[in-house]
Amino acid sequence: MNAREIPLYTLNNKWENTIFTLLAFLGVCFSVYFFNTSSSSLVQLKGFFFELAFDKFSLFLSAVFCLSLFVGLYPVRKENEIDKSFIYYVLWGLGILLSNNLTTFFVFWTLQRSLPAILIFRSIRNSNTRGGGTYLIQHLTVFGCLLALIFLALNSGYATASFSEIPKSFFTWPVLILSFIIIYESHGIFPFHSWVHDLVGQFSWYKIAALFLARPGVLLFVKFLEPTIQHDPHIFTTMLLALSIFSSIYWSIRGIFETNVAQTTTYFSVAASSLLLTGLQADHTAALGTYLNLLVISLCGTSMWSMMSYIQRYTSIKRINQYYGLAQFYPNIATLFCLFGFCMIGTPLGASFVVEDLVINGLLDKQPYLGLGHILATCLNGILFFKVFTRLFLGTNAYPTKVNNFDLTRLQMLPYVAVLMVMFLIGIAPRLFLVNLQW
Amino acid sequence: MEYLFLNLLLLPLVWMIFLGLSFFARLQLSERFLSESVKFLAMIMSLMSLLLSAMVVMNGFEPLVLDYADWIHVGEYDFKIRFIIDFLGVTYALLSSLLIGIIFRFSRNYLHKEEGYFRFIFLLSTLLFALQVISFGRALDIIFFGWELVGTTSVLLISYFYTNSQPVRHSFRAIVSYRFCDMGILAAAAWAHHYMHTTDFNEMSRLLHDPHLHTAGHGGQIALFFVGLFIVWASLAKSGQLPFSSWLPAAMEGPTPSSAIFYGALSIHLGPFLLLRFYDYFHHFPLLLWIIGLIGALSALYATAVGRTRSDAKTMLAYATISQVGIIWVEIALGFTHFAIFHMVAHASLRTWQFLRSSSLIQDFFENPVVHQHETIQRNLSVEKMVSKNLRKKIFLHALHGFHLDYFTQRSLDGLSWPMRAYISFEKKWMNLNNSIATSIFKKR
Repeated sequence: MNAREIPLYTLNNKWENTIFTLLAFLGVCFSVYFFNTSSSSLVQLKGFFFELAFDKFSLFLSAVFCLSLFVGLYPVRKENEIDKSFIYYVLWGLGILLSNNLTTFFVFWTLQRSLPAILIFRSIRNSNTRGGGTYLIQHLTVFGCLLALIFLALNSGYATASFSEIPKSFFTWPVLILSFIIIYESHGIFPFHSWVHDLVGQFSWYKIAALFLARPGVLLFVKFLEPTIQHDPHIFTTMLLALSIFSSIYWSIRGIFETNVAQTTTYFSVAASSLLLTGLQADHTAALGTYLNLLVISLCGTSMWSMMSYIQRYTSIKRINQYYGLAQFYPNIATLFCLFGFCMIGTPLGASFVVEDLVINGLLDKQPYLGLGHILATCLNGILFFKVFTRLFLGTNAYPTKVNNFDLTRLQMLPYVAVLMVMFLIGIAPRLFLVNLQW
Repeated sequence: MEYLFLNLLLLPLVWMIFLGLSFFARLQLSERFLSESVKFLAMIMSLMSLLLSAMVVMNGFEPLVLDYADWIHVGEYDFKIRFIIDFLGVTYALLSSLLIGIIFRFSRNYLHKEEGYFRFIFLLSTLLFALQVISFGRALDIIFFGWELVGTTSVLLISYFYTNSQPVRHSFRAIVSYRFCDMGILAAAAWAHHYMHTTDFNEMSRLLHDPHLHTAGHGGQIALFFVGLFIVWASLAKSGQLPFSSWLPAAMEGPTPSSAIFYGALSIHLGPFLLLRFYDYFHHFPLLLWIIGLIGALSALYATAVGRTRSDAKTMLAYATISQVGIIWVEIALGFTHFAIFHMVAHASLRTWQFLRSSSLIQDFFENPVVHQHETIQRNLSVEKMVSKNLRKKIFLHALHGFHLDYFTQRSLDGLSWPMRAYISFEKKWMNLNNSIATSIFKKR
C-alpha cells in the first residue's frame, strides 16, 4: 500500500499548530507534575469565588485530558480542520478538571456546555435543522439543578468552600438527588443519556471528545460526593451503582443495534466510560481500577474516534449494515484499531485486563449481585467492539465504495503506537502504574 | 524443575513479544526464518515438556506448588501468580507443545507464500503461551488470563481469510459465544474471591470440606454451588457443548491447520480440562456432576445426529468432535477422571490427524483398501437398526436443520431484544418532542 508522507508539522495552519503545541505542552507539564508530586500535596489558586486545585487527582485528569486530545488529533491533523472555538473547549474543560469548589465547577461547566448549545441555538434559529433539542433541554435542566445546588450551598455557607471542607451534614436528600442528576447527565448515563444521540453526527468528534474527557461527573463524584458517601443512604448508593451498570449495558446493546458508524463508536466509548462511575462507587480496589480505566478509555477511545474520523474522511461510509473490508486498504489503521479495541475490552496483556480484574473484584466485594451486571456489561462491550471492527475492516465489500488508498504513515502511527506501548506495559507490569494512582 | 517450568512458560512469551515488536518496527521477517524459528521453538518446548513430565513421574506424581510475587496488590486484594506442576498440567502442556509443533511443520507447506503467514505464526505462538498458562495455572484468575487469550486467537484465526465475509461472520458468532461463556469464569473467579477469599482451586476444594467454612465468613452453600455452576457455564462455549454448539462447525472457515489445533485438539478440550481441574470441587455438589453429565450426553447425541446429515468433511469432523467431547464430559461426571484425561489426549491427537488429512480426503478414500476391494462400507450402526424407519426419518429431518438450534437462539434473542426496540422507539419520540419544543421556542419567526 502506498501511503503519502506527511511532514512533521508544516501541514496545518499556525492556529492549529498552536493548539497541538498547547495540548502537548500542557499534557507533558501535567504528567511531569503528577509523577513528581506526592498524594498529600495540594497547590491551590484562590481568588474571589474561584478556587483551582493542583492536587494529584486533578493533575492526573488534566494530563489524561490533554494527552488524549493530542494523541487523537495530531496524527489526523490534516484531515480535521480545527475550529477556533476548540480552544475554549480545552480551556473550560481544564477549568472543570481543576475546579475545587462548587461555584468554580458551575462556572466552567456552564461555559463548556454552552459552546455546543450556542451552535445548536444558532442552527435552529437560522435554518430548518430539527436536532439538538434534547441537548438544550437536558442541559438547561442540569443548569437549573446546579443553580439549585449552589443556592443550597450558599444557604449553608459552602458555595465557595473547598470540596474537602464540606461536611457530611450538607448531603441531605435534595443535595444528593441534585448531585446525582448533574453527575449522571454530564457523564451521559442512563436515564439522562439522550443528549449524546443529539451531539453525535452534528458536531466534530474532537469537540464531543473534549466534552467527555473533561469528566465533570467523575470530578464531582470523587471530590464532592465520595468523601462522605459511606454516610449516604444505602438505597442511594445502590441506585447509583445499579444505574451506571445498567447504563453500560444499555449503551452496549444500543451500539449493537445501531448501524451509524459515528454513533456506534461513540456508544462503545460511552458504554466503557459508564463503568467509570461503577468502579468509583465500589471500594478502594475498584476505584484504583477505575482510575486506570479512565486512562485507558480516554487514550484508546479518543484514538479510535480519531481513526474513525480519518476513515470517514476518505470513504463515504456512514452505516455499518454491511462489511466494508477496509483492512485491505488501510492495514495499519485496521491493526491499530483492533489493538486499541483489545486494550479496552479486557484482553489479557492489555491494560483493561487489569482494570477488569480490579473493578470486578472490588465491586463484587461490595455488591456481589450487581457485580454480575458489570460482568455482563463488559461482555457486551467486547461484542460491540467486535461488531464495529469486523463490519468496518473485515469481509468483502458487497457494494464497492470508492476508497482512497491513504493508510497511516509511520509518522502518523507514532503517537498511537506510543499509547499502545503504554497500554501493554500497564497490562504486563500494572504495579508500576498503580503505585502512582493513590490520592 | 522450577527452572524448566519457567523456561517453558516464558519462552513462548518472549517469542511472542519479539514478533509483536518486529511488526511495529516493520522488520520483514522472511517466511523461512519464521518457519525455522517456530520449528526450533516447538522442538525445545516439546523436549522441555517431556522432561517436566518425566520429572513429575519420577516424583511419584506429587504436584509441585509454585508461588511467585503478587502481580497486583491493592489493599486487601491481590492477584497472586500461582502455578502448579501436576500430572494433568504437564499432560496438557506436553500435548500442546507436540501438536502445535506438528501444526507449525504442516503449515510451512500448507500456508507457503500466504500473505497472512506472519499473522498465523504470531497467533499460534500466542496460543502456545496461553495454553502453558492454563495448563499450569493454579488459580481461576490465572486460568482466565490464558482462557481469554485462547478465545481471542481463536476468533482472529477463524477470520484469517478476512477478505471473505463468511469467515468474518462466523468469527463474530464465535466471539459472541466465547464472551457469553467467559462471563462464567470471570464470575466464578470474582465470587470465589468474595465468598471463599481465594481462587486457588486446591484451596477452594479444601475449604469446602472445612466444617468451619460458614462460620469463617465464607459464603453459603448456594453461593458456592453457583461458583461451580459458573465454571460449568464457562466450559460450555470452548468445548462446543449445548446450547453453544452451532458456532463450532461454522468456525471451520479458518485455515485447516488452525481448525485442527483449535477445534480438533486443544481449544475444544479446554472445557473438559477446566472441569477436571475443578473435579474435587464438583464432587462436593452432586447436582453439578449431574448437570455436567446431562449436558455432555445431550451434546453427544445432538452432534452425532446432526453430524451424520452433513456432507463436507470439516463440518462432519466438527460434529464428531463435539460428540466425543460430550462423552468426555459424561466420563468426568461419572468420576472416570483418569480415563477422561486419556480420552482427551487420544481424541486430540486423532482429530488433529483427521483435520490435517481432511483436504486430502478424496485421495485417502481411493487409496483405502476397502474401496479397492469394491466392498460396501457399513453405514448403519446396529443401534440405528433398532429404531423404526419412520422415526429415523424424522430424526434425520430435524438433524438436517440442526434441531433448529439456531432458530431458537435467534427467536430467544429477538424475544430478549424487544424491550430495547420498544425503548429506542420511545426515545426517538421523546427526542422529536424535545426538538419540536426547542424549535418552537428558538426559531426565528
